[in-house]
Amino acid sequence: MIYATAASGLVGILLLLGLLLGGARIGAALGIVGLVGLAIVLGPEAALIKSGVVLVDTLTRYELGTLPLFLFMAHIFFSIDASRDLFDAAAKFLGHRKGGLAYASIAGCGGFGAINGSSLATTATVGLVAYPEMKRRGYDDRLATGTIAAGGTLGQMIPPSGALIVFGIIAETSIGTLFTAAIIPGITQALFYALVVFILVRWKPHLATTGDRASWGERWRALARIWEIIVIVVLVISGISMGWISPAEAAAIGSAGALLTAAIRRKLTKQALFTAFHETLRTTGLIYLILLGALLFSVFVGVTGLAVSAGEFVESLSLGTVGTLILVALILLLLGSVLDGLALMLLTTPILLPIVEATGLTAIWFGIFITRAMEIGFVHPPLGMNLYIIQGVAKDVSITRIFKGVIPFLMSDFVHLLLIILFPAIVLWLPEYLGS
Amino acid sequence: MLKQAVIWTGGAALLAATTVDTVAVVGRHVGLPLTGSIELMQAIVLVSGAIGLVIATWDNAHARVRLLVERLGPGSRSLADRASDLVTLVFLLCLLAGSLWLSADLWDGYEQSEILGIPWALLRMIANLCLAACAVLLVLRLVRRRK
Repeated sequence: MIYATAASGLVGILLLLGLLLGGARIGAALGIVGLVGLAIVLGPEAALIKSGVVLVDTLTRYELGTLPLFLFMAHIFFSIDASRDLFDAAAKFLGHRKGGLAYASIAGCGGFGAINGSSLATTATVGLVAYPEMKRRGYDDRLATGTIAAGGTLGQMIPPSGALIVFGIIAETSIGTLFTAAIIPGITQALFYALVVFILVRWKPHLATTGDRASWGERWRALARIWEIIVIVVLVISGISMGWISPAEAAAIGSAGALLTAAIRRKLTKQALFTAFHETLRTTGLIYLILLGALLFSVFVGVTGLAVSAGEFVESLSLGTVGTLILVALILLLLGSVLDGLALMLLTTPILLPIVEATGLTAIWFGIFITRAMEIGFVHPPLGMNLYIIQGVAKDVSITRIFKGVIPFLMSDFVHLLLIILFPAIVLWLPEYLGS
Repeated sequence: MLKQAVIWTGGAALLAATTVDTVAVVGRHVGLPLTGSIELMQAIVLVSGAIGLVIATWDNAHARVRLLVERLGPGSRSLADRASDLVTLVFLLCLLAGSLWLSADLWDGYEQSEILGIPWALLRMIANLCLAACAVLLVLRLVRRRK
């Protein structure tokens, strides 16, 4: 164990960063660094056996069943155009207000976020529906694209969230509690975005137009098209939050409900089912490889004692709780500029989680915090995946204009992140209240 | 054709998982609990997850950070792609070696789940088979890239 030092861990991290930036697959890079590191520290035999144990343990984890089933639910909902129905319903209620379609986009993203756990999918699907409508109504392209790119990040925060499921597995913490903890941050994030739109359209009225007020008959008809989705979402989220069902069971019920809804709407065709299977399996495989690699990498980081040394170093800076958390946020935002969200989470969690826990906060809080930091990475360059996704929809708008459009929302993201640091109860109150 | 069959098999596992946990929840609430539902789910989740790994590899869908790679010239990018395939292949082969080692060690132990007696050797075999399939797909891609 002569190589079991923090320096070995640091070398591993640098190698990992090199591999990631060199274009290696995230899961393979995490895994190979973890395995080679373990082989050096513990010996090749122990490293190989550990890899065999991690493989079957991970693939048979009951809690991990949550992930493919929620993905399956989302893909079935894709096939019945749920994003269009959600946006339409929100537009019927809000479209007559100044900037109403921007509010409707945020609501549509929030609603769609509740049936899928991905920022990119939310941006793409809501963008396809909302952007052409906003363009037709004469909305400023920066406001339109910025709203959807930022709103899309709600997909990652509002439960069920793929990122939170992955975090729950890595940090060995309750996925159900993480989902419950994400509810208030998710809602406040959406309200912050709505506030940004409110301020923008009052400050510069030419950015948005007002639409015709829909009659109550039209509104009820729009609601009637999404009632099954609302029932399933409420059942899934409240079932988990109240502890009636486990996240995996909730995912199964959500999938069953989505299949039933698609069947009732006569859209459960063989082709739709095959596409849903294909997309679900592909995304599941993508995340599983990352998880396998991350679990091996975190074992390596654990045996080197890097997390302990990093914790001692941060403690020696005497920054206090808020100072330490702001430092952690800065590290995440900086790394988030060059690393994909999941890579950021899986690379930093083994090191930063003990530091955060030393300040008295919990893994649940850190899970929400790091997911929030990941979301910010989705909307700021150079990575800013959501910006590119929305450009795929709004081909006539340059990436620079899209970024300009997202800047006010990015500012609100920073304020929101700061509030989560200053008032951890935003995250921790609901799970504690429901738990008691 | 083969890929379609693999996807339908993985899809069947997804449907089975949906059914098992839905029946388990309903059963629990009407007083007819489904005994061993968690063990069933563990087996089904392994099948869907392992097949997911194969499909993601087949579709070349595993996540990468492309920030620098996309700024490279065609030659350097092709080299980075091959290196990425190679790193993935080595990782998967290590996982496979470790898993085979454990499978061989535990073969005579007749491991099985507690309630339903699901043989773990079978589950390990499915995982190993899928990892081997991923490795074959990567080798084929590496060979094609070379050509």
